Amino acid sequence: MVEFLTSCAVVLAGLGGVAAAVLGLRRLTLARAEQRRLDAEARLIPAALELLDGMEPVGEVSEQDVDVFAALLGRFGRLVRGVESERIAEFFEHHGWVDYELGRLNSRRPWRRATAAFALGDMGSSRAIPALIQRLQDSEPDVRAAVARSLGRLGATDAVESVVGGFASGRLPGSVAGQALLSIGSSAVRGLRVLNEAEDPAARAFAVELIGLLGDASDEDVLVECLRDTSAEVRANAARALGRVGAEGATLELAERLDDGVVLVRAAAAAALAAVGDHRVVARLVELAQQDEFESARAAAEAAAQLDPEGVKRASSAAGSAVHLNEAADLLELYA
Amino acid sequence: MIRVALEVLAVAALAYFAALNGIYLVFTIIAWRGLTSHRRQRRYAAVDEAFASPLTPGISVVLPAYNEAAGIVDSVRSLLALRYPAHEVVVVNDGSRDATLERLRTAFDLVPIRKALRDELQTAPVRGVFASRVERGLIVVDKENGGKADALNCGLNASRHEYICAVDADAMLEEDALIRVAQPVLDDPELVAASGGIVRIANGCTVDHGRVVDVALPRSSLARLQVVEYFRAFLVGRMGWSRLDALLIVSGAFGLFNRELVEEVGGWSSRTVGEDIELVIALHDHLRRRGERYRIDFVPDPVCWTECPEDLRALASQRRRWQRGLGESLWRHRRMTANPRYGFLGLVAIPYFIVFEFVGPLMQVLGYPIVLAAFLTGAVSLAFVGAFLAMAVLLGILLSVSALGLEELSFRRYTRARDTATLFVYAVLENLGYRQLNDFWKLQAFAELLRRKGEWGEMRRRGLGLQSPPS
Repeated sequence: MVEFLTSCAVVLAGLGGVAAAVLGLRRLTLARAEQRRLDAEARLIPAALELLDGMEPVGEVSEQDVDVFAALLGRFGRLVRGVESERIAEFFEHHGWVDYELGRLNSRRPWRRATAAFALGDMGSSRAIPALIQRLQDSEPDVRAAVARSLGRLGATDAVESVVGGFASGRLPGSVAGQALLSIGSSAVRGLRVLNEAEDPAARAFAVELIGLLGDASDEDVLVECLRDTSAEVRANAARALGRVGAEGATLELAERLDDGVVLVRAAAAAALAAVGDHRVVARLVELAQQDEFESARAAAEAAAQLDPEGVKRASSAAGSAVHLNEAADLLELYA
Repeated sequence: MIRVALEVLAVAALAYFAALNGIYLVFTIIAWRGLTSHRRQRRYAAVDEAFASPLTPGISVVLPAYNEAAGIVDSVRSLLALRYPAHEVVVVNDGSRDATLERLRTAFDLVPIRKALRDELQTAPVRGVFASRVERGLIVVDKENGGKADALNCGLNASRHEYICAVDADAMLEEDALIRVAQPVLDDPELVAASGGIVRIANGCTVDHGRVVDVALPRSSLARLQVVEYFRAFLVGRMGWSRLDALLIVSGAFGLFNRELVEEVGGWSSRTVGEDIELVIALHDHLRRRGERYRIDFVPDPVCWTECPEDLRALASQRRRWQRGLGESLWRHRRMTANPRYGFLGLVAIPYFIVFEFVGPLMQVLGYPIVLAAFLTGAVSLAFVGAFLAMAVLLGILLSVSALGLEELSFRRYTRARDTATLFVYAVLENLGYRQLNDFWKLQAFAELLRRKGEWGEMRRRGLGLQSPPS
């Protein structure tokens, strides 16, 4: 036993020595490769910018530089939209990169599928959309998240239903699905309305929040309806959403929510009324700032300060004024 | 009779070291797999999208400061400059006796405001709150001294966002550290209760305005040993436990927490010197008892640079404190030990921490004299001594070198080949005295625990802002 343990330790230590030597050599190789990549990138940036500008690159991209050039364009792809994005897509299509990544989308290794899905988003080719939508059914959460992100980047309106469905079925976390739908833009709103009928309050809250971010005043009726939802989270999100879309016609309903039984809803309603700019509620907001629980009192004080700065300063100078009003007044003075 | 006893003890010591290093070896393999997977995930992490997204949750960075005048301004600057779409910095001056508050006041043009503070968590009295004329995202709370946990709780009361990032006052976060440590939360906010990043040693690095601009090794040997030790602790230990869903420690220097959950467990505990481990174990305890699905993750790439002790006295004090904190938390949550209700955490992770991390140092300190005595009395053979040393030292060296290997395979933050070569030397040296010294300090912590010693001890900070590489 003793001999066995000694032998094991010595063999492992020997392996450690070999591993250390390999790592040393690896370090040298990587350092050289990195330097080569940086040199190539510096050389190729002008050509990449020319391509984005719609010009034929003056310098020819050599066979050995094409990988670096593709990586560079992929990074640029995250920063541009519209015609520049189309030019990047053309380059990747022309050089067969899109087909290459579409092939890797079916790899047996999840990380390869995820990397391919991510790269397809950067490449900007709408030809990848159907394959990506299909991959939303992948068994790996990482792959599904990368696919959703790329569908968003590609502005894939056809994918709205699948992304919404992915969220509703729990296959996509709300943050991932939400970001994808935000990237797709306002055309996602119609798909989101389906979720308003969902039984799960979390799904309804998610839909309402996104409608607030993507929608406009025409969504007011749907959102007002949600102000009466049984879920406090839905009501709060609906209030915030109405504030974001500037729903001036909903001020009465929002003001009613200042008396909601849940602090989160009252706070959201106060912020929304400030965003809409309804001066009629200032007195009620000041009252809430003086009496309500912490979160809603703070939101009410901030809303009142936004709507009537001078009134809040006056209220805070009165004896025994509420702490939230004092804070709001001090911040008004500080950042006037 | 004595010979038999020595023989039994010597065999137990050998078995202990074999088991300990065997476990470390398994962890190294798990960590290697985790780091490989993480490195791949980085290729498709939607960091830019998260940065631009209105759905990204806000984070309040809370910085408790006690006598941190030397580096507080640079630390705050680095935190304000973090790349994150919605964050505020809440500095809590915990009754400092030096010029911490004055330096902040001057650097950021602070003015007193009448800020409303929550009262969810009880803290020492607040003397005043300040806002900055030049940095809208900065709040400074001045309070009476109550200790680090008390200051963190006060920061939580003053913060407005739904996530709290606790950062040490001497820590410097890299520009992307916040968004990267928040990645698990961004991916699945419903599931993630907390996440922590890696802590690296800033001694020897060039620091400019609170930012590490050139990574280099410390000049002090003691600090270099700690560089290797931190690789082992974070890249192997934290990575391994995180992969097993049983992470017990999110470093107090840099950890992100769901604020509501922190409030539910009563905040950071002032009744222990290890408030970081205590909070994480309390979160596990709370969430497992509620039967909820959750995750506490370690993310290996967001970096928090921190100053480590360069003298033995300060280091000993720090290590004793860490060990006392571990002991106190394990005792406080003893109902979790070997309790199937807590799953892998209760059945494996906590017993491991008790046997190998808490009680282990006793065996690790006594193992050497026992084997020597057993050999001198003829109770064990020379071959046995060789096997013991191979298990205790040779395997230890292998594991330290492996931790360095993991750093090489993944992040390679020390870009100079000479630095890496030096670290390999220190990975060997670490096992020839330093680890044993650490075990001795841990043993001392036992005595302190028995005496119920609760104070933190002080480390004289030199501040890192003026450090430059040798010309």
